[in-house]
Amino acid sequence: MRTILKAENLQKTYRVGSVDVHALRGVSLDVEEGDFLAIMGPSGCGKSTLLHLFGGLLTPTAGRIVIDDEDLTAVTDAQRTDIRRRKIGFVFQRFNLFPTLSADGNLRLAERIHAGSNGAGNAERRREVLTLLQLEDKMHHKPLEMSGGEQQRVALARAVVTSPAIILADEPTGNLDTENSAIVLNMFQEMNYRFNQTIIMITHNPEAAAMCRRIIQMRDGQIVAPNVAVQI
Amino acid sequence: MFDSLVAANILQRPVRALVSVAGVALGVCLVMLFTGLARGMSNDLERRSSNMRAEILFTRPGSKELMTSTVNLSTRYVEELERIAGVEAAVPVIRYISQGSRGFGIEQVEGVEWAPYAAMNGMRLIEGRAPEGNNEVVIDETKARNNRVGVGGEIQIFGNRAYRVVGVYSPESGARIKMSLAAMQDALETPNKCSYVLVKCRDANEQRVIAERIDAALPGNKIQFTNELVLNIEKSIPYLGVFLRTLVGLAAVVSALVVMLAMYTTITERTREIGVLKALGASRGYIISVIEKEALLISFLGLVIGFAVSFIAGHLIHRTYGLVFEYGWSWALTAAAIGLGGGALGALYPAMRAAGLDPVSALSYE
Repeated sequence: MRTILKAENLQKTYRVGSVDVHALRGVSLDVEEGDFLAIMGPSGCGKSTLLHLFGGLLTPTAGRIVIDDEDLTAVTDAQRTDIRRRKIGFVFQRFNLFPTLSADGNLRLAERIHAGSNGAGNAERRREVLTLLQLEDKMHHKPLEMSGGEQQRVALARAVVTSPAIILADEPTGNLDTENSAIVLNMFQEMNYRFNQTIIMITHNPEAAAMCRRIIQMRDGQIVAPNVAVQI
Repeated sequence: MFDSLVAANILQRPVRALVSVAGVALGVCLVMLFTGLARGMSNDLERRSSNMRAEILFTRPGSKELMTSTVNLSTRYVEELERIAGVEAAVPVIRYISQGSRGFGIEQVEGVEWAPYAAMNGMRLIEGRAPEGNNEVVIDETKARNNRVGVGGEIQIFGNRAYRVVGVYSPESGARIKMSLAAMQDALETPNKCSYVLVKCRDANEQRVIAERIDAALPGNKIQFTNELVLNIEKSIPYLGVFLRTLVGLAAVVSALVVMLAMYTTITERTREIGVLKALGASRGYIISVIEKEALLISFLGLVIGFAVSFIAGHLIHRTYGLVFEYGWSWALTAAAIGLGGGALGALYPAMRAAGLDPVSALSYE
């Protein structure tokens, strides 16, 4: 197995007024290609900060992150954005779809950003992904015309349509009911098992975590249980 | 069709988009209408002045400017001018300038002895007869067409005094309304006075020599050549050029401010969406280009509407008040540059601000 993400001694300190808040206190982690990893822990333990660091949305105070052989901590802001564009897909708790665009339009926007100036999107690929997520009849619907579960599936489709190296999901079922949570989690699992898609998911939900290949537990900015294997 | 983020964003807030479009259109209208009016009036004056066949205008210093006229020249100068070698004819004229009959713009009326004046300037009555009585006038074809008045009709001059139209003449030359010199002297209570005397030379090529003779014979007066009278309205009206350029600058500021305000509000409302764009890997350039494209689309719509409104408004004002609008390519290009440039510039600050947003803060924006 190839290591697709390597984090070494990550530290992140925020300055709030005159007080230093240590969000991460030396986190080290290896994620293999095809892994489906759940990060659990109480609120404020540093889960989201860690995910934002992996996605290049934040820079660590200290430490190193290597994603798919590219050092995220040794590059400029513009280069970090470029790595994110090419290698990372995000799924958020609040879906964060563009309300003015249809499902297909949201995917096309992601494709356009991913492609940069290299060309147009791939309609066949978009249709394939939406069909896989059972959204083929919702292609031309706008987010507000869809249920929460459907919106989150579109968000997942948007994340995978550009074939990223890693999908980072921040509590993707946090805004869904039980039925829709199960559907979305099954989709994540299918992506992981059928396409060997690497996924790192923050969750508070033990049932959601149980669907992952392994779980790490965090507390007070540190990993306290680094490799809880899950029997599926 | 509207799965483009730029078009979809505009359609999402149609009222705000319309206000922005109207702001840009206003700037374009300001430029087009004011410069169109200045150019139209200038060309109209030039056209009418070019029909004047007298070569020399003799007057008292300061008694005839473009927008003012006084009646302080004795008509006895006519005989003295006619005695000067090379002068074929001398015709006294009173020019009176008042507010337009419809309360808008200015209106000129001239008092002339019709027969010698018409003979000197190659004018003819195409309908009716020359003015004789104290309440009679003749008007040119344009005036007759714009005011929809013909022989037998009435127009009001000097406030609310009614004058009967007794003739229509062509071609247009000088003021569009003319009455007899005696009638004008009577109306203004200036007997034996006029504003200026038009002098026709026997040989137009000798006008400068004749002007020198006039100056020698009648010193202390003002001698102007008619072909230099209205070369350019911008030169005739002091600071008009400065005024027009100031107006253009203001139009640019209005356009830029309206677009900036609209885009700034848009950015604030869409902070979370900008965060999502950043999470998707959109570069600073991409985010700036999305916002600039939206501003340019708004500006382009404002430009089209501004041009359309300018042409329609110019046409309606011309029909109602007879003011002449002539639009030039250079000012149209200036208006286009102001509309598009103002919009693009106005959106630049909000765009740069959006591109510089912290993605994590933007994603958590409520």
